[in-house]
Amino acid sequence: MLPFLKILVRNIIKGPATEAFPFGDTFTPKRLRGRAELNPERCLACGICSHVCAGGAIAMTESADGRGMEFRLWHNTCTFCGLCEHYCPANAITMTNDWHLSHEQSEKYTCCEVQFVEYPVCKRCGKRMLPHLHQRLAKGLVGAVNTAEIMQICPDCRRLTSAMQQIKSKTCFSTDRSNS
Amino acid sequence: MATYSIPVGPLHVALEEPMYFRVDIEGETVKGLEISAGHVHRGMESLALQRNYFQNITLTERLCSLCSNSHPCTYCMAVENVAGIDIPERARYLRVMADEIKRLASNLFNVGIMAHTIGFNSLFMHVMEIREQAQDIKEGVYGNRMDLAANCIGGVKYDLDDGIESFLRTQLEEMKRPLDEIYQIYAKDPLITARTKGIGILPKKDAVRLGVVGPVARGSGIAYDVRDKAPYSAYDQLSFTVQTEEAADVRSRALVRLREAMDAISLMEQCLERMPKGPTVPDCLPEIPPGQSVARSEAPRGELIYYLKSDGTDRPQRLKWRVPTYMNWEALHAMMHNCKISDIPLIINSIDPCISCTER
Repeated sequence: MLPFLKILVRNIIKGPATEAFPFGDTFTPKRLRGRAELNPERCLACGICSHVCAGGAIAMTESADGRGMEFRLWHNTCTFCGLCEHYCPANAITMTNDWHLSHEQSEKYTCCEVQFVEYPVCKRCGKRMLPHLHQRLAKGLVGAVNTAEIMQICPDCRRLTSAMQQIKSKTCFSTDRSNS
Repeated sequence: MATYSIPVGPLHVALEEPMYFRVDIEGETVKGLEISAGHVHRGMESLALQRNYFQNITLTERLCSLCSNSHPCTYCMAVENVAGIDIPERARYLRVMADEIKRLASNLFNVGIMAHTIGFNSLFMHVMEIREQAQDIKEGVYGNRMDLAANCIGGVKYDLDDGIESFLRTQLEEMKRPLDEIYQIYAKDPLITARTKGIGILPKKDAVRLGVVGPVARGSGIAYDVRDKAPYSAYDQLSFTVQTEEAADVRSRALVRLREAMDAISLMEQCLERMPKGPTVPDCLPEIPPGQSVARSEAPRGELIYYLKSDGTDRPQRLKWRVPTYMNWEALHAMMHNCKISDIPLIINSIDPCISCTER
């Protein structure tokens, strides 16, 4: 007569389906797109992340003394779309599965991911320069890049090439020795 | 008998989103209807022109929460059409998977809300609990409960590994029985049929005249499905039936949605079986030449069309979309003709209106 009664009884016996959070534990999947994080060691300061950032959450400012570049990602502006992580040629940005971003109103201007990417020094003249791929290659941070070609092309083309390399990121991962 | 008009909306307990209906009634019977929109207009077509092609992937995803994969997917298809990009084989299957998991959750949400509108809240809760498993899939595989962020120009941003694949298989398997069970309830339960059978009839003739799409058209016996008529992604490789019902009432539209939800599970399983190994994105960044293109897909609510005009810069010159709900609004005039006041929310819900899509 009423087919739902059977299910209703079953659900009552089964008990609540909701999680005890915030008084108990909750499950966070490994792949959850949460707070973004930058590894300044890997960052090439190429700016593709702020170019693709849908919310305009990423600001890159060169320090006044030219020593490096400040990377600032506003968590409150971030849409957690993961485009920066996807297009980053050096796998420097990762979306962690940390979703604990609540903060007090007084912290709203400091709730950011701030990192300082220091520019390397030229061995000959001592001038600061952009952390280009050669530096990273020497540290073994970026794998499977044709060094000879990279060194002969202008920064704009290099950005394109490194982005292309990133797209084959699966191979980049396997030759990446920085984690070992 | 006295004739007077009552307002339903823009903010109303039975409406999930703001829309204004002025209903002319005679006694308890609806005699006339006037719909006016524009309460949540956000100017997104203009916003799209101020963002580059990459940023628009995310912008289009924020258009609507329930079909949040169909929008970026169709947008990427439009960009790929103008740039002549062929997406990798594996990405085709991964796009179908993202599309179908959203369809599954969206259709369950709609039939759940239908139970809620009837006042059958225990069934509503039960359906939402089944849907929760689909939400777990989205969160576990894609990283978010609503916005999958699965698409990028030229492919997809995510990939499956062995662990995720077996997680998917178990979740899908677990959903099959409860889905069969609730299908029987929606088809046979006397409380449900009493409120939905013969209500909000949209005869096939009117459905054709008004150009309705999606489950509304299929509920009126029109076997029109973009996945079948103009297959995109990997739909040409997969087998499924275009679900139709002849009764053309609220009940038949709900049954079509439920059967499509079951089909979604079968389509995802077929994808897992047939998906080839390989890359998920092409090995170059896209270059968008000047030109125009159109792409269309079957969103959970029906046919979604994207038009893109590019002028060779990194921003679109014009991006326009025609959303399924836009076509289905007008059908309310036919559906509500001579219906009872108490059936208004039920009939409105039966077209699965997405106001954030319509008004963007």
